[in-house]
Amino acid sequence: MKRPWYSFLYIRSPLVKIGLGIVAVMISIAVLLFLGVIEDRRMAAQTANWDGRAIEKGAEIYANNCYTCHGPDGKGLPGVAPALHSKYFFTQRLKDVGWTGSLHDYVASTVAAGRPSKVKSQWAQMMPTWSQRFGGPLRDDQVNNVTAFVLNWEKDALTQGTPDNPDPWQPFADAPSKAVAEGGGAPVAETPVEPTGPRSPQELFAGANGMGCSGCHNLDLPQTADSRGPVGPNMANLYETAGSMVPGQDAETYVYNSIVAPNDYIHEGYMAGIMPQNFAERMTEEEIRSLVAWLLDPNRQR
Amino acid sequence: MAVQPELEKKGFAQTVLDAADDVFTRITAGIPAGEVRRMLRGEAPGRPNPRLKPHSEAFLLHIKPTYYHESVTRFTHTFRLGLLSTYLFFVETITGLILMIWYAPTPERAYTDMIRLLSNVPFGQLMRDLHRLGAELMVLIVTAHMVRTYLTGSYKAPRQFTWFTGVILLVVTLFLSFSGYLLPWDQLAFWAVTIGTSMAEAVPPKVVGETVNLLARGAPDIGANGLMRFYLLHVLFLPLVLFLFFFVHYYKVVHFGISLPSDEEEIGQDTANKVPADRRVYFLPDVMIDEATFLIGFTALMVVITAFFFSAPLESIANPQSTPLHTVAPWYFYWLQGLLKIADKTIAGVILPGVLLVLLIAIPYLDRNPSRRGRDRRVAIISGVVAGIVMIILSWMGTPYYAVQGAPSVEIVQELMPEEGMGPVREIGYAHLPLGKYDTRENPVTDDEEFNHILHEFEASIAAFEEKDPSFNQAYGILSVTQEQPSLKRITWEIYWLSPEGVQDKFVRTFFLHEDSLYWEQYGLKDFSFVRPPAEE
Repeated sequence: MKRPWYSFLYIRSPLVKIGLGIVAVMISIAVLLFLGVIEDRRMAAQTANWDGRAIEKGAEIYANNCYTCHGPDGKGLPGVAPALHSKYFFTQRLKDVGWTGSLHDYVASTVAAGRPSKVKSQWAQMMPTWSQRFGGPLRDDQVNNVTAFVLNWEKDALTQGTPDNPDPWQPFADAPSKAVAEGGGAPVAETPVEPTGPRSPQELFAGANGMGCSGCHNLDLPQTADSRGPVGPNMANLYETAGSMVPGQDAETYVYNSIVAPNDYIHEGYMAGIMPQNFAERMTEEEIRSLVAWLLDPNRQR
Repeated sequence: MAVQPELEKKGFAQTVLDAADDVFTRITAGIPAGEVRRMLRGEAPGRPNPRLKPHSEAFLLHIKPTYYHESVTRFTHTFRLGLLSTYLFFVETITGLILMIWYAPTPERAYTDMIRLLSNVPFGQLMRDLHRLGAELMVLIVTAHMVRTYLTGSYKAPRQFTWFTGVILLVVTLFLSFSGYLLPWDQLAFWAVTIGTSMAEAVPPKVVGETVNLLARGAPDIGANGLMRFYLLHVLFLPLVLFLFFFVHYYKVVHFGISLPSDEEEIGQDTANKVPADRRVYFLPDVMIDEATFLIGFTALMVVITAFFFSAPLESIANPQSTPLHTVAPWYFYWLQGLLKIADKTIAGVILPGVLLVLLIAIPYLDRNPSRRGRDRRVAIISGVVAGIVMIILSWMGTPYYAVQGAPSVEIVQELMPEEGMGPVREIGYAHLPLGKYDTRENPVTDDEEFNHILHEFEASIAAFEEKDPSFNQAYGILSVTQEQPSLKRITWEIYWLSPEGVQDKFVRTFFLHEDSLYWEQYGLKDFSFVRPPAEE
């Protein structure tokens, strides 16, 4: 029979076959030994990889849900939500609230279950429950991812505390509901603080006893297509634009309404429910009027 | 025992040697050491052949024929594809059993178990990659086995039933591979299986389709029940079916013998079982050594491929709320996906595959031509080749390159930084993404060669789509890389273009990339950069 060109594939000698088999076994053993030697480093790299990917996923969730209140850089917004990218938060917070678990647990459980207290705190919004376990939108793995993202600020946050890089933490206003009566009983009923005369617009806008407006509204930047406030509109050119925002409302009415009933008109690109709706109760009529006039003043004094 | 008289008669040394030979013969199921030596020297067996004993004594050898026709032992006659398929099933069983140790089939655990397997189990990644590679090779080799059988006409009488069991084994192999697809519970798995099971829904009449779909998924959507069902299918039911049909198939193969090369027998005759004494190749030792060497060599090849060139994919955790762009079936179902793009779900997803299956089974009965010689079977071979080409074209149509292009802006970003998987940007990685804002109109150039390449591709891709798509004019892109956190960069793609009406439109997509993240492609040289960690700063 004629031997075809591929007849080199027909190995007849058993000894050659056995030899080839031994070579193959040696190759396998060499490869497995190589893998065995680098296995520890491979596992370490994989562990770091999946931690890194959790942070990536967490960053996405943060960018979609959290930054409007906690700020794009995690440094919080005055009057809206506390800073997370803060030295105090990473070093002192757990001791102050008496949390005995880890910071990871603290963040994860706060993300999951929210902070339902809205009683007399300086934060305009309450932290919603984010976990599906408590009626929120996030699965457990997503809660863990966003926690990993928040904790990844640690390295940066620990360098804070210098004049150039201050700790953005804002001490919590003392919420009477959190106080505990002598002997661990029920909280004392809250006693409203009597107002001591009208506050100035500057005080209301940015002061310690103010409304926290400056957290979301920038007074120095104009609100244009290229420069828009991420959470609330910028206000440098408010006196020019306010009169033409809502048909039938002059500038004064528009700004006044926007303060007392912010959800009535929401400009495109912003979300309803971010701006607190209780300013009419927290300021006197006189204070609101003076604030409106000050905001619309082209030569507004700081 | 009469040790004493024997010792006296034969002497001490001889007695020990005889006892050793006795033990040896028990281990080899009937072949003494001297005979093994003669086998290795290539000497012919004596008469009666002492090398047949293991076939009657050893359970595992009793199913193997004692000798083969010399012509069918040539490598290029069968390419050992049947043996290889069986061996791969064995490999899959072993690696699968090992993987089962670290796996729980629940949505809460499955994906984290995968991560744990990859990052905390020594050789865990190797096992997973081997299992995945074995599964894909098994599909490939079972198909090749069938193609070989078709081309040599070996399905003809009396082997019609062998062919039938072979078709069943092919289908079971496909289902086995597909049912394993869901188990990692990542986006790739979830959506491929969602699409797969939704085809079952198209079975007419409606009530049957819906019931089949419900039975497969365990709920209207795949969830904990569906995962458990696919798990049980994968580890228990389908392997048992395969096991059963394998033995029927193999029994038939041995019973009829492997069909001879068609030139060596008369047309219409089957002389596979009548082997002349001078053409016999005995299983022991020739065929056994041949098969063992072949399988050992193949194992070494698999180990090398797995170690350096193949990584089982693992995407983000399954998210029923978000369908990733360009969801694809496993490659061996591309042809089905291609069919689904051009025809109705019932026709393409149920009727055509059903017809195809029946046709495959019916081939031995449709083809009445008694000759197995290639020149007598032009119609059969040409139609087989045409069917193969059609399958390849359909498979190409099943890939995202055909008929599912999204908006240009979406495609441009997907090409460079896909939602899932690696893509060129993640390939160059965190270290090669210098911070800054890069506008394609300014032809930016940076110090980093690899990043320049990305920017160039970004520009080129925008230009290419601008030319192709009339609704995408005067387009430009801005890529910004900012430091979001320590070790975390934010990569924002902005693409601006004018619609045909001259209105400016905009697309923005943001990704994050962590310093330690590793992304990988399924096929291709693996990244071993972790072996030497970068020098400390």
